[in-house]
Amino acid sequence: MTDAFPAALTGPTSKERKYDRQLRLWAATGQQALEDSHVLLVNSDGPLGQYNTGVTGVAGVETLKNLVLPGIGGFTIVDPAIVTESDLGVNFFLEGESLGKSRAEETCRLLKELNPDVEGYYYVKRVEELLTDPDFLPQHKLVIISGPMRRSTLVPLTQEAKQLGIPVLYLHSVGFFSTFSVQLPAEFPIVETHPDPESTQDLRLLNPWPELVAAAAGLNNLDTLDDHQHGHVPYLLLLLHFLEQWKHSHEGNAPSNYKEKTEFREFVRSQARTSNPEGGEENFDEAAAAVLKTITPFSLRSSIREIFEMDQCRQLSASSQDFWVIASAIKTFHASHGVLPLPGSLPDMKAQSADYVSLQNIYKTKARQDVEEVTATVRHLESQLQRQTPAIPDRDIEVFCKNAAHIKVVLGRDIPQISIDSDASTLKTIRNELGVPDSLIPIFIAMQILDSVVDEIQSSSREEERSVDDDALWNSHTERILALLTGADGSAVCQEARAQIARASKELRRAEGGELHNISSLTGGLVAQEALKVLTRQYGPLDNTCVFDGARSKSEMYRL
Amino acid sequence: MRDSSIKRSLGVDLTRSLKESRVLLVGAGGIGCELLKNLVLTGFGEIHIIDLDTIDLSNLNRQFLFRHEHIKKSKALVAKEVAQKFRSDAKLEAYHANIMDAQFDVSWFESFNVVFNALDNIAARRHVNKMCLVANVPLIESGTTGFNGQVQVIQKSETECYDCNVKETPKSFPVCTIRSNPKEPIHCIVWAKSYLLPELFGNSDDEAPEVDSTEDADNAKEIADLRKEALELKELRQSIDTEEAHQKVFDKVFGKDIIRLQGMTDLWKEKEPPKLLDLAQLQKESDSIASTVSAQDQRVWTLGENFSVFRDSLNRLARRLKQLQETKLPDQDSPILTFDKDDVDTLDFVTATANLRAAIFHLELKSKFDVKQMAGNIIPAIATTNAMTAGLCVLQSLKVFQDNLMQAKMVFLERSGARAINSDSLKPPNPDCPVCSRLVVPVEIDPELATLEHLVHDVLQLELGYGRDISLLIGDRLVYDQEFDDALPDKLFDMGIKNGSFITVKDDNESARVNLDVVIKTRSEPSSEDSKPATLQKMVEIPLKPKQPAQPPTDDAQNPEQPAPPSTDDAAVTGKRKREGSDDDVEPNSHDAKRLASASVPDSNGIKAIVLDDEEEGAIMIDD
Repeated sequence: MTDAFPAALTGPTSKERKYDRQLRLWAATGQQALEDSHVLLVNSDGPLGQYNTGVTGVAGVETLKNLVLPGIGGFTIVDPAIVTESDLGVNFFLEGESLGKSRAEETCRLLKELNPDVEGYYYVKRVEELLTDPDFLPQHKLVIISGPMRRSTLVPLTQEAKQLGIPVLYLHSVGFFSTFSVQLPAEFPIVETHPDPESTQDLRLLNPWPELVAAAAGLNNLDTLDDHQHGHVPYLLLLLHFLEQWKHSHEGNAPSNYKEKTEFREFVRSQARTSNPEGGEENFDEAAAAVLKTITPFSLRSSIREIFEMDQCRQLSASSQDFWVIASAIKTFHASHGVLPLPGSLPDMKAQSADYVSLQNIYKTKARQDVEEVTATVRHLESQLQRQTPAIPDRDIEVFCKNAAHIKVVLGRDIPQISIDSDASTLKTIRNELGVPDSLIPIFIAMQILDSVVDEIQSSSREEERSVDDDALWNSHTERILALLTGADGSAVCQEARAQIARASKELRRAEGGELHNISSLTGGLVAQEALKVLTRQYGPLDNTCVFDGARSKSEMYRL
Repeated sequence: MRDSSIKRSLGVDLTRSLKESRVLLVGAGGIGCELLKNLVLTGFGEIHIIDLDTIDLSNLNRQFLFRHEHIKKSKALVAKEVAQKFRSDAKLEAYHANIMDAQFDVSWFESFNVVFNALDNIAARRHVNKMCLVANVPLIESGTTGFNGQVQVIQKSETECYDCNVKETPKSFPVCTIRSNPKEPIHCIVWAKSYLLPELFGNSDDEAPEVDSTEDADNAKEIADLRKEALELKELRQSIDTEEAHQKVFDKVFGKDIIRLQGMTDLWKEKEPPKLLDLAQLQKESDSIASTVSAQDQRVWTLGENFSVFRDSLNRLARRLKQLQETKLPDQDSPILTFDKDDVDTLDFVTATANLRAAIFHLELKSKFDVKQMAGNIIPAIATTNAMTAGLCVLQSLKVFQDNLMQAKMVFLERSGARAINSDSLKPPNPDCPVCSRLVVPVEIDPELATLEHLVHDVLQLELGYGRDISLLIGDRLVYDQEFDDALPDKLFDMGIKNGSFITVKDDNESARVNLDVVIKTRSEPSSEDSKPATLQKMVEIPLKPKQPAQPPTDDAQNPEQPAPPSTDDAAVTGKRKREGSDDDVEPNSHDAKRLASASVPDSNGIKAIVLDDEEEGAIMIDD
């Protein structure tokens, strides 16, 4: 891992020290991925006509702040807007002197001050103009868009990003509400999902390998041990030892159902010495407590089986990503051994230090052997496929082996919209959600209506322009969105749901599309968190929409 | 209008009360920086910010008001200065001071509408919690670790307070485990950091909070031996900057001291005794090791490498100390070096010596990266979690300003789970809480005149109607009871009682009253002719202790100051500063602890239960 940083001669670099607190969350590999990333923020698409203040883009800037601080490589802000008085009231990254200047330039300048390691650029134009250059979008690893944005800009932008495999975040923050959605590439694999440490333990008590069997066999003299030694036999070895005894009296079978496991647990418990001053033994308590969890045959989780069955895993080619080559090698490993590579970590347990260390070594050695076997398969596949790319780093294979039981492939979806082209399943999910009490989905629908209203305003001629708070506009677009949602006439939406949507719309209209700094700051935290997951390819990213209600301090996630 | 969007969404009334408000922000760290920005841009009128810390390089990845050039400067002052630059119209006041200082007394706390806690340690959190309870000021308590965060609204008599649930305190280890019989790698790390390093380079008389050196009959001899050992080590300080220093230190702590331990056969009856390391072999191995090995912090070093880093870091530290000694001015204290997880030299030294010791005791060796986390008690921290947590703090404070505590929530940020943000209703106070269930009465004294007798006779007996059989404690120290009345003529001031001091009154009668805390306010002007040197400031009714089992009597139902069963454990009076946590840490599992604790709260015993109706939430938006 240290290889990722050209470490200075005297110890950790000042960069490592600066980022120390976050390196403990995503390690040097995650940090390197961040530093290799250039992020595009499309912070408005020009004015919302002569009657409106336009998108203030505070949530976008706050998101960027939370990415500049942990050290992305660089960012570009695209925003044709000019700083107004109302910007100054909500945007921390503008100063009094910014008034009348380019908002892209001013926010870029002040954000850059946060971290000298980060490069910042800006364009005072609409993103549409930049997209005419085919080399523009591919420079970015992530696109963040501040809504509402007219469809004629949004759709080409998100579609081009999709073709290039660049993830997109589309966000809204209006009044007390915010929503955002993630558009990931069609397949987005994650190796380091950081599962709960509890769930990563794989002790193989029912599939022990020879060295572990040998260690347990050394316990034949259990009865001859003195009280201290007896009370310090690691519980793992106790369980292996008693399993052998159990099998003897059960035709060679381990306890397989709940009833047998409880019987086995009682059996283990009964073997503890109670004549000692403590009246019991901690290691036996640990052993009994671990029975139900650890006396389980290995089984491949269905999510991993699905990954093995995906075409990308079954049909490798010279251009397959590293992930799929390693996944295929692991699949081969599973086919021949019936288990996944051993993660190799051992839980804490009552034991003498030296015994614990030697047990730990048995697990570590086995894990290393498994990695070597998978690595050999990977190397074989690489030469078979005649890949042109550099050899897959050993470390990536090792990390993959360690996380094999928890890898994840997210199937990316488009930015959800209620439109003529909407996915039927998206509309269905929204309709179902409308029946759920206290659901936040009405807020999502209200934001869709706002998008629709803004779309009309931005595409009207100057004479026809109307305010964002225009009654007639809202009424017609509410009906239009509801009709799209139900596939027929809007009356199919029940009165209660209509009332909820109306309440959410009222808040958006009261705010006149404007932002509250506090809500946008919080939203910037939520959005940046997802951006970090996507850029580091660690943890599980949002799939795919989050709605936040600041009045209730509540958020919900939906797959739309 | 700059604040037009605020007015549109919050309404005229709320916007006005925010503008007229005066709030206190305790802590200018991760959450504090975000909070300051949000408070300013939400239109809070006057914001006071206090922090005793200075800025460190490792703060810059999230504490966005600070830059490289601010390192080593006061967090509070820089935060104010930078925020002021962005918002010249904001009314800000900064203090580079400890919130636990006596100058920040109850009346100072009373001057705020709301207090925000953005702290990183339990002791200060508890202190602010207690002060806010006494001053009856709402407190918004918050904390983060990694991706997790938490926000809690605390209001006296209405909600749980910070101490209504037991908090995990930092772990401490018995001195003999650290010095004679380490059983886990952490014991060796604590030995290196809190014993070896201070003895050689620091102020060895400072007691490390993680070492518990309480003496008892069992370990008295051992502790005496350890003192002797430490003394020998201290003598090595004289020759610490010589070529052979590393050899001398090695011979002492990894040689002579270990041989002494090997001789304590009782310890090794049932486990392997410590084994000596081969110095010649290590020296030979380390000859071929470049000093750059210490940069490899993710990998566990070999013994030879540990030895090499030990030798090298010892030299580095010795050179630094010498330089400090040479440049010291005559009137300055002798210079010392102390452990800092971000100071590479001390971290290298602790890692290498802890690992050498671990090898001697057959324990697992650790990488420098891990040692840093274990020795420094590092809590992961990032900008995103702080941004979310601070935003939630402000949202909860809006409910307080609207007098809408019923709608306020306990909010959690969690990485796992279906939602990013979870909320829970606020719980009523825990009737057994050692802090908020106590009665506190303010007593004003004239520091020139008031004696203990004035307090006992004039205030407690005459005004509050106590009998003769009472005892008074300051912290754990008994200062008065019926048999122990020598101190009666002493001046309170001479007994160390200052403005803001607390004195606990226990009623030792058969049908006793609940414990009472007296909080002292000193008079700023001398007493007039007719006023007594000590006077009660507010009359209170002091309920009786409940009969067994601990169920408060029902006829006290009207009294909002509910009685608590007696408790001698005064967890709140902890003046000792434990700054171990790194950044706004939350206690692990406190969420679960809270649920457990609140589940046991009876609802029919007269406690004013908070009835929350989820149907009606969301009423934060007010029409103009």
